[in-house]
Amino acid sequence: MKITIKEYCIRCGLCQDIYPELFKYNSTDDKIDVNYDEIPDNLTEKARSAAADCAVTAIFIKVMN
Amino acid sequence: MKQINTDVLIMGSGLAGLAAAVTAAEKGLKVAVFEKRPFQGGGISNTPMMTMAVKEDKEYIDKAFNIHMSYTNWNADAAVVKTWIVNSCRIPKYIKDLGLDFQAIVPTPLEEIGAKRGYCGGFPNGYNLGDYYFFKARGKGHGAALICKNAAEKLVKLGGEIYFNSPVKTLIKEEDKVTGAIAFDKEGTEIKINAKAVIIASGGFSDNPEFIKEYTGHTYTNNNCDDGGNVLFNTFPNSQMTGDGQTAVWQIGGAKGSMGINGHNLVPGPGIIGNTPWIVFNETRTMQEQPYLWVNKLGQRFINEEMSNDHMTMGTAITSQKDKCGYIVFDEETVRHMEQKGLDYIYHIFPAERLHNVRAQFEELINAKKNNHIFLADTLEELCEQTGIDYENMKVTVDNYNKYCDQKHDDEFGKNPAFLHPLKEKKFYAMRVFKGGYQAMGGIKINGKCEVMGEDFRPIKGLYSAGDCAAGEVFGNPPTGGIGISSISFSQGFASADEAYKYINSYWRNIK
Repeated sequence: MKITIKEYCIRCGLCQDIYPELFKYNSTDDKIDVNYDEIPDNLTEKARSAAADCAVTAIFIKVMN
Repeated sequence: MKQINTDVLIMGSGLAGLAAAVTAAEKGLKVAVFEKRPFQGGGISNTPMMTMAVKEDKEYIDKAFNIHMSYTNWNADAAVVKTWIVNSCRIPKYIKDLGLDFQAIVPTPLEEIGAKRGYCGGFPNGYNLGDYYFFKARGKGHGAALICKNAAEKLVKLGGEIYFNSPVKTLIKEEDKVTGAIAFDKEGTEIKINAKAVIIASGGFSDNPEFIKEYTGHTYTNNNCDDGGNVLFNTFPNSQMTGDGQTAVWQIGGAKGSMGINGHNLVPGPGIIGNTPWIVFNETRTMQEQPYLWVNKLGQRFINEEMSNDHMTMGTAITSQKDKCGYIVFDEETVRHMEQKGLDYIYHIFPAERLHNVRAQFEELINAKKNNHIFLADTLEELCEQTGIDYENMKVTVDNYNKYCDQKHDDEFGKNPAFLHPLKEKKFYAMRVFKGGYQAMGGIKINGKCEVMGEDFRPIKGLYSAGDCAAGEVFGNPPTGGIGISSISFSQGFASADEAYKYINSYWRNIK
């Protein structure tokens, strides 16, 4: 599973507040970094919740075969 | 240098800018929005969860208008206030037309306008003026952010354009009228925008410490008030609201409008809230809403604590005290009351009915989080040593307060006896509370047509303003609005687009 964040993300940092294992606000580049290239199995449920919780539908998950 | 030609140039893509943009585009105008950040939205996206709209009925409008004006001692601009109230009626339809809904609508009957305290809308003094609309959000997000996203998408569908990463820096004024602006793109290339009308909707100045110091008398803090600052903001980690619109308007002779900070009571420091005010790490925010004993640094009460859950009032009262802070103080018996019997004030944002293990929450904040604004002590004297509250005064205050509790009458401020809990049983708890800013606002003086006024109080042709940068005129001087300020942003957005449309049709019709 991979997480991508759309350009229109509003950098509110809510995802980092709720799911610090997955996201971190990057103040240098003013964007949200995803902590993993490939989401570990134990965090995939959290990744799905994060996509559902995002204020502006900016978090997308892609499941790899 | 690049060149862009448009009918209306809008500076800023927050609630006001996008409301103006969508309204103008629906009228068939060519619209270009310039936004300094890489995405749509403004201060709004991270603060209010609701808005206020007055019912479209002459009786309601007249009453809301007159009550609000009386509250400001008619110090606010009457025409600007009227424009806001009248146009607020359009908000619910605008949001519905963006494909969004409300999670709750709380109507205010005519007799309750100005008579019942409601949802901390901040007008006037916490009393209701209109109907409250709570935005329906996605997941744990904030509804206003979704409004901005949908509005931006709608604008593009209507043929409007949004230029991201493109700050507007200066306005172009030819003779008596504004005809465009100079902006820069991400690479730093200059863009000349030729426009028939310009609407400044660039927001407040919450990220500009110099403006805050100079124009509001507060001291900005980015270090949880541990650096001597006394106002902290509930904005994005990097919201970049630096008052660019105000600066550009003043440069071409625009008059300075009222400026102030619209804020609530907030315990600062690590472990309290996350990046967004929706996310709290404990129950501190709920505790600070409660109507128990509040004192200032001198150890004296300063307010009827029934007002504890009225954000604007508390924010303003706190900043009138020594070192611009206040303390809520309670004892172990009160903690048991909050944990077992339940809270006296249910906070509508975090609607817990009871608290859970307050002592452990305090200990965690003090020991693990190193929060310097949370205190726990065995005696009042020790609590005063820790907090810096004057002990001699505090002894007198607490003796008197305990007497009021026994006699069930607050001789000082007449607080509801149900909220009187004595301070007798250790441990003693205190939280230091500062003003938490929703936004630093105002600075652009407008009239009832949202036209920007020159220093001679005459409108500058072709230049309009809406939203936080122009909201100062709604509250008088100094302005202290409420979270319902989103109501002003929407309304002024609509009105500024209406007026720009009229101006373009009358003035520019015969000019090629």
